[in-house]
Amino acid sequence: MTNPTDHLLRYRPWKGELNPPVYASWAMARSSLRLLFRRKIFWALYALALMIFFFFFYGQYLVVWIQMQTASQTVNFGAMPVKMSELTKFLDKLNLNGSPHTFGNFIWFEGYVAMIVLALAGAVLVGNDFQYGSLPFYLSKPIGRRHYVLGKMLGIGAFINLLTTIPALLLFIQAGLLYDWQSYYIDNYLLLLGILGYGLLLTVVLSLLLVATAVWVRRTVPLIMIWSGLFVLCHRVANFLVEAQNLSPLWRLIDLWNNLYLVGLWLMRADPEAVKLGPQPEPWQAALVLAGVCIGSMLYLRKRIQAIEIVS
Amino acid sequence: MTLLLDLNNLSRTFGAHRALKDVTLQIPQGLVGLLGPNGAGKSTLLKILMGLIAPTSGTGRVLDVSLGGDRDTRDNWRLRRLIGFMPEADALVPGLKGIEYVALAGELYGMPRKQALRRAHEVLTYLDLDEARYRAVEDYSAGMKQRAKLAQALIHDPPVLLLDEPTSGLDPSGRDKMLHLIRELGSLHGKSIIVSTHLLADVQAVCERVVILADGELRGVGTVAELCARRDDYYRLRFVGSKEAFEQALIASGLTTVKHAAARELRVVLPAGRSTLDLFRVADAIDVSLRAVLRDDVSLDELFRQTTAPEAA
Repeated sequence: MTNPTDHLLRYRPWKGELNPPVYASWAMARSSLRLLFRRKIFWALYALALMIFFFFFYGQYLVVWIQMQTASQTVNFGAMPVKMSELTKFLDKLNLNGSPHTFGNFIWFEGYVAMIVLALAGAVLVGNDFQYGSLPFYLSKPIGRRHYVLGKMLGIGAFINLLTTIPALLLFIQAGLLYDWQSYYIDNYLLLLGILGYGLLLTVVLSLLLVATAVWVRRTVPLIMIWSGLFVLCHRVANFLVEAQNLSPLWRLIDLWNNLYLVGLWLMRADPEAVKLGPQPEPWQAALVLAGVCIGSMLYLRKRIQAIEIVS
Repeated sequence: MTLLLDLNNLSRTFGAHRALKDVTLQIPQGLVGLLGPNGAGKSTLLKILMGLIAPTSGTGRVLDVSLGGDRDTRDNWRLRRLIGFMPEADALVPGLKGIEYVALAGELYGMPRKQALRRAHEVLTYLDLDEARYRAVEDYSAGMKQRAKLAQALIHDPPVLLLDEPTSGLDPSGRDKMLHLIRELGSLHGKSIIVSTHLLADVQAVCERVVILADGELRGVGTVAELCARRDDYYRLRFVGSKEAFEQALIASGLTTVKHAAARELRVVLPAGRSTLDLFRVADAIDVSLRAVLRDDVSLDELFRQTTAPEAA
């Protein structure tokens, strides 16, 4: 009588050195990227994010080109002669000039797409682990809860930076090439560090918050709703309270994206008088709220990601 | 030879509830079945063996490595690397292909990336999943999912495999295949395997030793043959006469009859000190003619029920 496995390749032993657990976090981050890159909706959203990037990219180029080449020229709109330099006035609000506000505005607008991408990423990368029982797969391995959270945060952080920091850095390089590149890069090295700091801040705060909310709600649609509530509803409510009801600017602290923006501008040493919406709370107050969000998320994750869930 | 499990007075409490009560156990390497009804303490024991929770008191070693509790320490990583765990839950990562899933498991165990990928190909081929390795794991059939879970447990070639309900949800052919694989891994490839299951037939089919837990206590441990021999003698009686009267007479004489007998048969337990001559005496007294007295081996199923019954405690 033949055995069912007679035709199979024989089992072969493996002898090798095993890496420390931190390598597992890196492996988890890579598989997270793979999981999201396979989704068509991610590419559609990324294309949308690229449109914002190209708007800033060509806008920055256009402003310089008009100033350099055709600033003194006029064009006729019907019978009205209009100076070319006047045509770019509407772009002034976006500060397309390689200043800290250029990058602050860029990341602010990218936030709308980032919010949806992150909700999708949270559901796919973290929510699924709870919904489909993948957690035992991870936590039965020689890794701790912190390695699991770090791996997921690295994966989510990669998407945050793909949408914000990396395009912002490309805009920084472009700005240097459009102006006097030597003096721009040397004079603005602190701005470069500020962009990197802003990226790091977004990565830490958003990935921690996303992992915590994904552990809580798990499914994509509720996650998008919670995420929208946090970033759109809170923004609208904060605007209403401060601008329409003339309440204290501290009410803006309920708007997380605004808090990130304020601390980001502070990191890039932007002029605080020129922030998008005024009046605003102090950057340190926004930083305190963000620190509170991070600590709250970590405490929640510590409670929810239990190794004992592995064996039911 | 190093013991597979060496546990001394291992206890674990959750608040007022004692999930595991002073379990002392020495098991040599080999294929071990872990049996027990729901709430017996099996899961708690598995969690302690894997270093996921710490025992409240007592000590223990798995292949001479101390149980590490739930601390993120080097010793605890060492313990978990000894063990390949196949969970009962699906525990798949939706969206990953079979090969990626198993290779990721290898990397989580600490294998270098290229070696994990190469090894994943080998293990999936060994487990007859070579043609399905580029398919998404969520599209696998129940049998394929079980083998994929076994593959991720085998990826780093651990000396100990801990299989939680390995044949759960499988059809008869898939079950046979899985049991054959488990036997082969144990007998040909020297793996020590702990099978936690409710299916006694699975344990009987593959395990050399059985550990029976009930109410957090160790109720039985030994080889399947030893456990079945350590019972009172069972006999199957064929006779001519009134079954009810014979049964009552046997009970009146201090013997115990067992349910699950054929229509014209009785099964009876002879405790130590009693002989088959007593059966003939009882039959003779009520004018029943005994035609056959056959020795009747107890099944593991019966042994399990007897051992885990509340009065057995």
